Formats: sequence, C-alpha cells, structure tokens
Amino acid sequence: MPEIRIENLSVWYDRQRALKDITVTVPAGSVMALIGPSGCGKSTFLRAINRLIEESAARFRVSGSIHVADLDVYHPSTDVNELRRRVGMVFQTPNPFPFSIFDNVAYGPRLKGVADSGALRRIVERSLKQAALWDEVRGKLRRPALALSGGQQQRLCIARALAVDPDVLLMDEPTASLDPLSTSKIEELVADLRRRYTILMVTHNLRQAARISDFTAFFAEGTLVEVGDTRQIFTAPTDPRTEQYLTGRYEE
Amino acid sequence: MRRGRTLHRLAWILMMLSAAGFVAVLSSVLLRGFPDLTWPFLSSWPNEATGGGGILPELINTVVMVGMALLVTAPIGIAVAIYQREYRLKPQSALQHLSATWLAAPTIVVALVVYRVAVGWFHWPVSILTGTLALAVINLPFMVSVAEAAIGGVPDSYRLASLALGASRFETVTRVVLPAAASPLIEGLGMAAARLAGESAALIVTAGVNVSRHFGLFSPGETLAVHIWYIRTEGVALGRDTASAATGVVLLILVTVLLWISRRLARWFE
Amino acid sequence: MTLRSGRDRLPNRMAMGAALVFGLLGSSLIASLILGGWRILGEPRALANLLSNVWDPLAGHYGIGPFVVGTVVVSLLALVVSVPLALGTAVVVSQSVGRWVKESATQALNVLTAVPSVIFGWWGLQMVVPWVRTHAGGPGFSLLAAGLVLALMVLPTLALFFTQALARVPETYREASLALGGTPDRTLVRVILRCALPGLLNGLFVGVARALGETMAVQMVIGGNTLMPSGLRDPGATLTTQIITDMTVFPPGTRGHAVLDVMALILMIGMYLLVRLSERWGRLS
Repeated sequence: MPEIRIENLSVWYDRQRALKDITVTVPAGSVMALIGPSGCGKSTFLRAINRLIEESAARFRVSGSIHVADLDVYHPSTDVNELRRRVGMVFQTPNPFPFSIFDNVAYGPRLKGVADSGALRRIVERSLKQAALWDEVRGKLRRPALALSGGQQQRLCIARALAVDPDVLLMDEPTASLDPLSTSKIEELVADLRRRYTILMVTHNLRQAARISDFTAFFAEGTLVEVGDTRQIFTAPTDPRTEQYLTGRYEE
Repeated sequence: MRRGRTLHRLAWILMMLSAAGFVAVLSSVLLRGFPDLTWPFLSSWPNEATGGGGILPELINTVVMVGMALLVTAPIGIAVAIYQREYRLKPQSALQHLSATWLAAPTIVVALVVYRVAVGWFHWPVSILTGTLALAVINLPFMVSVAEAAIGGVPDSYRLASLALGASRFETVTRVVLPAAASPLIEGLGMAAARLAGESAALIVTAGVNVSRHFGLFSPGETLAVHIWYIRTEGVALGRDTASAATGVVLLILVTVLLWISRRLARWFE
Repeated sequence: MTLRSGRDRLPNRMAMGAALVFGLLGSSLIASLILGGWRILGEPRALANLLSNVWDPLAGHYGIGPFVVGTVVVSLLALVVSVPLALGTAVVVSQSVGRWVKESATQALNVLTAVPSVIFGWWGLQMVVPWVRTHAGGPGFSLLAAGLVLALMVLPTLALFFTQALARVPETYREASLALGGTPDRTLVRVILRCALPGLLNGLFVGVARALGETMAVQMVIGGNTLMPSGLRDPGATLTTQIITDMTVFPPGTRGHAVLDVMALILMIGMYLLVRLSERWGRLS
C-alpha cells in the first residue's frame, strides 16, 4: 500500500495550462476527496497519475513528478502498462464492456496472462465480493454486463479495477450518474476499501466528500487552493475561496 | 518507447499503402490529362471517327441527364422515406429489404431491365431519355436510403414538441422534420449527383456511345464517363489515352465540385 | 402514428402512393428478370446447360460457369487485398487523437467513394495491365489485373464503413481497457475490434456487394475471354462484364438475352442474401 507523492505537477494542453504547480502527498491507505468547480482540473489531475492523458490529448506536456510508492510515474523507463495495473481507475459513467459479467472482471487478469480457468474464477469471485456485487450476480456471471442496473454496473467496474490487484484507486465522480440508493452503496464500498487501498476520488457532492474522505483537496482554476484534513477543511478552511465554495458563493 | 504498438504500426503501414494506391490512380489521370485540358477541348464537338476532339456535348449530356434523373427521383425518394419513417409506426420490412437489395443491384442489371422495357417494348431509341430513365431507376433506392437516414436522424423530441402544440403529422413533417433534416438531405443529393455523374456501365447500353449534332431527348447521349471508356478502349486516334485522361480530369472536377457545393449548401442549412 | 386527423389524410395518401410506386417498380425490376429468364429456365436440361463451361448462345450452349468463376475469383482477390488495407486505414483514422485528422480523413474517403469506376479502369489499363504483363506474364488483361483494380475501387467504401464501425465504439471502453494496463494493441484486439465486429461485418457485406456488382472497372482490364480461365494470369469475364458485352449482341427476346436475365437474376439473389446476412450479423447489438 503506497503513498502518492505529487511534486510541482503542471500539465499543459496545447498552450493552455490545465494544472499549475500542484504539490500534494496522499498518505498510504487514506481516502482523499478532490472537490472544486467543474473545469478546474480535477479530472486532468486524476488522469495525470495513471498517464491516461497521453491517450486522449494530441498535444500536452507534463512537468514535475509523481511517485506512486517508489515508482516514478513519468520516468522514461517506467512501463506505463505496469503502472496502470498498480493504479486502478473508475470512471464517471459506468463503462462495463459489452461482454459478460465474468469476462468484464476477468479482462484485466487475462491481460496479465492468467489463463487458468480455476484461477480466473477465484479472482472474479474475490473481486466481485470486494465490490459488494457477488450476492447479486452469483450464478449469473454469463449474463451480459449491460443488463445490470447503473449502480450494479458501476460496482462491476470497481470489481474489474480490483481484479488486477491495484494499490491505488482513482475514482472520477463514480456516483455522478447514479441514484441515491446506488450512491450510498458505492460510498459504503469505498469506506470498506479504505485502509486497503489508497483512494483518490473526484466528487461534486460535498456531503459525500465530508462523509467518506480522510483528506480533502480543493482545486480552482488549475491550482490546488487548499488541502488538509477533511474535518478541518469543512469546518475551518484557511483560504477564503474554499469557504466561498463550501458555502455556495464561489464565482466560477 | 511504448510497447505493444506493433499492430498500430502495421495499421499505419497499411494506411500509407492505401493512400499510395489512391495517389497513383488520381495522379496518373491528372498528370496525363491536365496538359490537354484546353478551352477548345472543352468547347468543341468530338471527332466520331477517331475518338479525338472536344467534349462539350458530353459535358452537357452529363449535367442534363443527372439533373433530370435527380429531379424525378428526389421527391419520390423523400416521400417514400416520409412514409416509412413518419406515417408508419414501424418501417415496413418488406419495403426495406426491397430497397436494400435494389440499392445493391449492379447498375448493369438495372440497365438490362430498362433496356428491355424502354427499347424492347416501347421502342424508345438508345437515347438521352432512356439513359435518364436508367439513371433514375439506379438512383431511386439511393435517394430513399439518403432520405431515410436524414429523417431518421431527427430526434423524436422535435416531433413530440410539434405534435404537442397541436400540429398535424403533415405540418410536423414539413415545418419541423424536413427543415431539421435539410442538411444531410442536401449532402445526400450531392452524393447522388456525383454517383450518377460517374455512372458508365448502364449508360453505355441505354444512352449510347456517340452524340448528335443537335441536342434532343431522343438523340444519343454519351456522357463524360462513357466517353472516357469509349475512346480509351475503342478509340483509334493517336492521342486517345491523353484525350481520355483529359475527360477524366473534367469528370473528376465535376464530381468534386458537386460534392463541394452540396457540402457548402448543407453547412448553410445546419 | 396510426391516429390521424382529417388534415393528414391527403399527405398520408400521397406518401403511401409514393411508397406503392416505389415498391411496384422494385418488384417489377425483379419480376422482369424472372420473366425474361424463364424461357431458359423452363427448357429441358436447363440447369446442366447453365452450369457447363461452354458459352456459345447461338449454338445453344450457354454455360455460365466461366463467368461465375470469374466473378467469385475477382471479388475474392479484391477483398483479400483490400480488407487488410481498409482495416489498417480505419484503425489509424479512428484511433487518431486529433479531431482534424479524423474529420478530413473521413471526408477524403467520402470523396474517394465517389470516384467513377472508369477512372479506376483507365488507371488499370495504364498501369496494372502492363505491370501484370511484365511481372506475371500472359497478356496482362487478366483476372489478376481485374482483382487488383477492383481492390482499390472498393477500398474507400470498406475503409469508410470500417472507420464508422470503429468510431462507434465508445471512447470510455478504450480508456477502461488502457486504465487496466492493456497495451494499445491488446485494447484494439480485445475491446475495440470485438465491440465493432457487427459494424465491421456490415461494412464487409457492403464491400462484397460492390465488388460483385462492379462492371466497368473490371470490364476494362479483364480481357473479356469466355473460356474457363485456368489461372489468375488468364483473361476472363465476370457475370457483369458478360452482360454488358452481350446485351446489344443478343437483343431482347432472343435466347441469348434470356441467359443474361438469368445471370442478372443470380447476381440479384446474391445481393438479397447479402442484405439478409448483414441484417442478421451486421447490426450493432
């Protein structure tokens, strides 16, 4: 279980600077919530950690450094696929592949070369249990994943991410498209997973951030305005902008 | 260096090969034809005996036949699409199968039927009119598919909003659906025109391989595409390759202009 | 909508009338072929005669074997060459990150699909036929030349359909796979191509239909030989090229013309099967 150390991280798209000089450390085994107005760079920040920005932007530049435990993310010798296996990601809208439930969860292990069906079954069962989905899909693993409800799909995506044994989980507004009941299930799940994984979670739901995170980071206009203990941020923010945002008076 | 990109590199090579193929085709025609693309060539009559001469009547025939064929088929095609998409709860599958099979029909098969009916039964001569008929039959299913795609692309919420305001189906179609579908319809019309302008097989047998001194619906009507084929394969003039290539350049320009204009117009209506 | 107000009756009738005209025209197209070909199909031993390899309608031999073989071989050759090229092009275009590249490449493919077949035929006569003559031997006019020209001819259509099929795979599938540590290649094979398979098959069927039906580009380089070809270097003929060659030779009403109807009918049955196949396998789930 590693800590994530980000030092002087800046990201440019074309000429535009999307992230400015971010320095923050996420302690091992903790949950950090990233909050802030839309377009403030939270998603970019998340995608910088598993280098997914490389896949979606034609021209971009990264400076500064990110370490996941002792792995230097942007070092030229770092194997990006190895990195992504250690850093799982859950997306804003549930995006299971249009395969069966089993094949979705087994996708990652199969990439790693696990071919033995018994081993695959064990991994799938373990991951689905961890994602609190096992009881709902037991015996239906051959059903198409897209037949599940939105909340179940999102938990399936979490199971899929867990199946490759990551140390870190990046969650990009995982409950944004879900109903309240599914949201609370995901929140319970995150509470379950903390201490075993280091979790970074973008959220627009301030109460959610207050409920489930140990630390909270407030982003605005590509900068990290303030980061600290969640209780401290929510009760006594030091930066006036944070207070404005928390009380709904922040001008975007 | 990123690992695991071998297939992507292979894909890149395959794409470059494809591009090289098209460059070879287009450049061979363009390089050969451009020097001969003179004003006299564009404005004079062809020399029947040798296959040389100019291409003015071919140019006129092409534009007239394509224009007439579109004029006839566009309204029918749009009406069929409206029937399928607006007046039926579910598009009729028999009509869809027929339309798709007809669309896939080789143009020479269409010409075979048109030839029998027009020339065999009605004793029309091999002429501009017969050729236009063939083009119309070729284009009809294409028009239907273009119109169906355009009308099908209009979101249902538009229709519901209009119907909820008390408009009839017909008013909804004319005032909401068709304007919303105008842009893809116009682009489809341009594509249809380009397709017809390049048609050769069907016209060789229905419109003929020569032109008459005077324009008339019942006189033979060789088009640009047919002219390219005819002088290249049957011509005896010395410069037949070049004349044929120059005609090819004109045809390519015509097709490109048709596509370009329709695209610009479509943008206008977006 | 089944419920209609009185104002809607006339427009509805007109649309229905157009559909009726369209349906009748289409059905009579097929019916005309059946009627025309009936003469031959009704004769004794018609099938054996049709399936033979001797084409001499004036003497009563109308074996279309060589043309069927020509059509199949030329189309197959064209697809074997063009499918990998089209798939490669589609992968590059659809996976490129820049919007500009994607849009202009799609636009270029769109324009290329409209390039007339005689242009390809002209190029075939100019470059492919001499190339085959020097490198493969024979007269140059051959099934090989026809297959190569046809490959380039169907390539834009195939590439366009493949590109659209790949582009329809949601971006988040690709991201999910990459985020799980899948290399770009594995993501391509295990997620993108797999998810796009129905669309790819649909494109393939359209490509097959275009290849089977193409006439002029093939006619110009195939050589028009009615004997059974014994190899790719031999000249031959396809169903479509033989129809255009003999259509004016045998006027409507003659037995020769009836055989052409049968050949057209065979092509149309093939097209219908392709339509049904693409409906069965080619729809996105």
